[in-house]
Amino acid sequence: MLQLRNIHKAYDGKVILDGISLDIGDSEIVSILGPSGSGKTTLLNAILGLTEIDEGQIIFDGKDLTGVPMKDRGFNIVFQDYALFPNLNAYENMVYGLRNKPGISSPAEVQELIELLGLKEHLNKRIDQLSGGQKQRVALARTLVMKPKILLLDEPLSALDGVIKESIKERIQLIAKQYNLTTIIVTHDPEEALTLSDKVLIINDGQISQYDAPHAIVTAPRTQFVERFILSQLRIKRDNIFRLFGDMPAAVAGVAR
Amino acid sequence: MNRKSFELKFCFWFVCIAFAFFLGLPLANLAYKSLQTDGGIGPGNYAAILTDGEFLAAFRNSFVISALEAAITTVLAFMLAYGLHLTRIPARVKECLQLVIMMPMFLPSITYGFAVIYSFGKQGLVTQLVGTQLFPIYGFWGLLISYIVYTLPPAFLVLYNAFYYIDKNFITVSKIMGDSTLRTFWMTAVRPLLGSLMAAFILSFFLSFTDFGIPVSIGGEYEVAAVMLYMKMMGALPDFASGSVIAMAMLVPSVVSVMLLRYMERFNFRYNKISKYEVQRSLTRDGAFGLFFAAVALLFVAVFAIMFIVPFVKSWPYQPVFTLDTIKRVLSDNALGDVYFNSVMVAGITAVLGTVLCYAAAMVNARSDLNKYCKIIMDVIAMVTNTVPGMVLGVAFIFIFSGTPLQSTFAILIIANILHFFTTPYLMIKSSLAKMNESWETTGLLMGDTWLQTVIKVVIPNSRATICQMLSYFFVNAMVTISAIVFLAGARTMVITTKIKELQYFEKFDAVFVLSLLIFFTNVVAKTFFDMLAEQEEIPLYKKIKNLFKAKENTHEKFC
Repeated sequence: MLQLRNIHKAYDGKVILDGISLDIGDSEIVSILGPSGSGKTTLLNAILGLTEIDEGQIIFDGKDLTGVPMKDRGFNIVFQDYALFPNLNAYENMVYGLRNKPGISSPAEVQELIELLGLKEHLNKRIDQLSGGQKQRVALARTLVMKPKILLLDEPLSALDGVIKESIKERIQLIAKQYNLTTIIVTHDPEEALTLSDKVLIINDGQISQYDAPHAIVTAPRTQFVERFILSQLRIKRDNIFRLFGDMPAAVAGVAR
Repeated sequence: MNRKSFELKFCFWFVCIAFAFFLGLPLANLAYKSLQTDGGIGPGNYAAILTDGEFLAAFRNSFVISALEAAITTVLAFMLAYGLHLTRIPARVKECLQLVIMMPMFLPSITYGFAVIYSFGKQGLVTQLVGTQLFPIYGFWGLLISYIVYTLPPAFLVLYNAFYYIDKNFITVSKIMGDSTLRTFWMTAVRPLLGSLMAAFILSFFLSFTDFGIPVSIGGEYEVAAVMLYMKMMGALPDFASGSVIAMAMLVPSVVSVMLLRYMERFNFRYNKISKYEVQRSLTRDGAFGLFFAAVALLFVAVFAIMFIVPFVKSWPYQPVFTLDTIKRVLSDNALGDVYFNSVMVAGITAVLGTVLCYAAAMVNARSDLNKYCKIIMDVIAMVTNTVPGMVLGVAFIFIFSGTPLQSTFAILIIANILHFFTTPYLMIKSSLAKMNESWETTGLLMGDTWLQTVIKVVIPNSRATICQMLSYFFVNAMVTISAIVFLAGARTMVITTKIKELQYFEKFDAVFVLSLLIFFTNVVAKTFFDMLAEQEEIPLYKKIKNLFKAKENTHEKFC
């Protein structure tokens, strides 16, 4: 279990994170949702160990990791732009970490990952020959080879379009289930957050607006912010889609008019 | 008829004709001259020179010292760029260091030579402070240290800018993946910069190989190609046949350099995003880089401090008493006032006309519907001007324009300067124009503006910052250059750098330093002026000042 206790962070006198406390259970998928500038990426970097926090504690499985350097925390991240090394091909990127920690994944496990992520025919390609979705899967594979204790994903879907988005979403859920992996995702898209995760953490101005299961957020929004910025957006989307398909439920139709 | 094409076609032909006449023709003529012998056209001159031991030695010397200098400079520049990007040394310290490193760019290279002599020579400032002369200054060591000072700023800029475009997320990935510090360093700093490192090396090499100011002031017995060329053309016993061959020979390393630079481009990584990165805390690293910064700053200060001292003392090194007499005496010489005026005028006109020419060429390349060969020609012109060293340009100009009305005019100096420094401003404005929305001209047309009106109302205002940078680049470089114009300046068209060369002959070194200071301050003022013009936003001045105070207050709070 990952526990955050009263996290504070400020840059040049500007408060970014203002007392964040929460627990994330094992093998849960949690999305951190918020507008740009809300502090969600900073929170992710703080968990990763990339950003030092000014105050508070980060505890994982009862161990205080606050002062532990990024390298030794055992977490791993996939960046929004994937950060694949352009001088190595897809396979070399994937097994990059094995060079430093030989045997952390067995050859069979690497094969399994290749299968699971559908990378077989792309292994020998250069990075610039891969599509966005393929890059995303290579980056995921590279991270999973390291068997992270927690998987962090920074805007994993925002650079992908339509159908590929949905398929990556499914893969992320599949991986979390298959490897019992705690997964933390940063996103600015409410639909993505609420359909992908077990729990959603909504933050605004460095503070928690609500931390709940998707259903609870939709049915019982706790703050004005959640109501106005998250739910209203979803309702407009839902109404548009219903109108498109022409089978709007009566209750919704009333609201839309 | 498409009116848009007419104006751009005019630009295209104007640029083409200008370069054919002032670059193509002189170079062709130079090649022709080098083949002209007493017995008709033939490779006789080349045969004579290639078997001449003195010439071969000078070329080898140039090659060896430039290569060594470039290697040292590249390593230093890389460490500086790395330290500025990836340490937690306070921003103020970093800014100061950058200012110190940039200083040589505002000075003619001929000044460095004298500064080194006055700092590290027998009676030099550093020698007196240390108590012993550190190394023999005339010849190899003096050249080496001056070349390093000369080429460090541009090499540093190449690497410092390249560092911005490295995706810093790679550092995070490399660390999480368990890489050792050394491997992280290789994978995330050296490897992505390989192309830029080689570019910095080649640039340094090219600059020192073709520089004239440094070897003429401090070269001593160590003969290099640039000085040899000058002696053949302007020395006591002119030998134009050999001069033309040496000029042609100097083109070879230049052509190779430019080709290598183009080839290196493929080694550069292209990142799609520049990510912010928080540098980790490390006292050892920051301490080590702090010491390194201090050492580099010390070297630069040691070289240049003397320049600010000599003009303000009675007589260096015998009467080091503060006085303004030296400056007053030098400046009271009317001839020097004229020379200063000439310099500023030449630099100013070079800046304006050069910027217009670059703009026209870049418009053809980046924002026209002319066919692709017209666009390629513009790039080729830029590449050729980049390849031709200033000295070669100067020699080519003498051969073709001697005896014409252009000889010994300001016009020929201005033309030589524009050609010499064409490439960089052209590339600046080209990339800036290419980034702008390509539909502006069409939109303007639909709104009832002519093409020219749209360009004046929309395109030019949106490239104002770049235009200011171009003006500043042309101005500063025209102020400090000597290599091309040393052949072209006549008695009445003397500029400061050529005057310095003359003063050296009469051993009036206090005047040399006063003039150098004049160039330095003029350039600093010009650069500051253009920077301010470039950054000028809609924010009124009083708000800027208010913001400044606000920032001050905030830092105050932090310390309390």
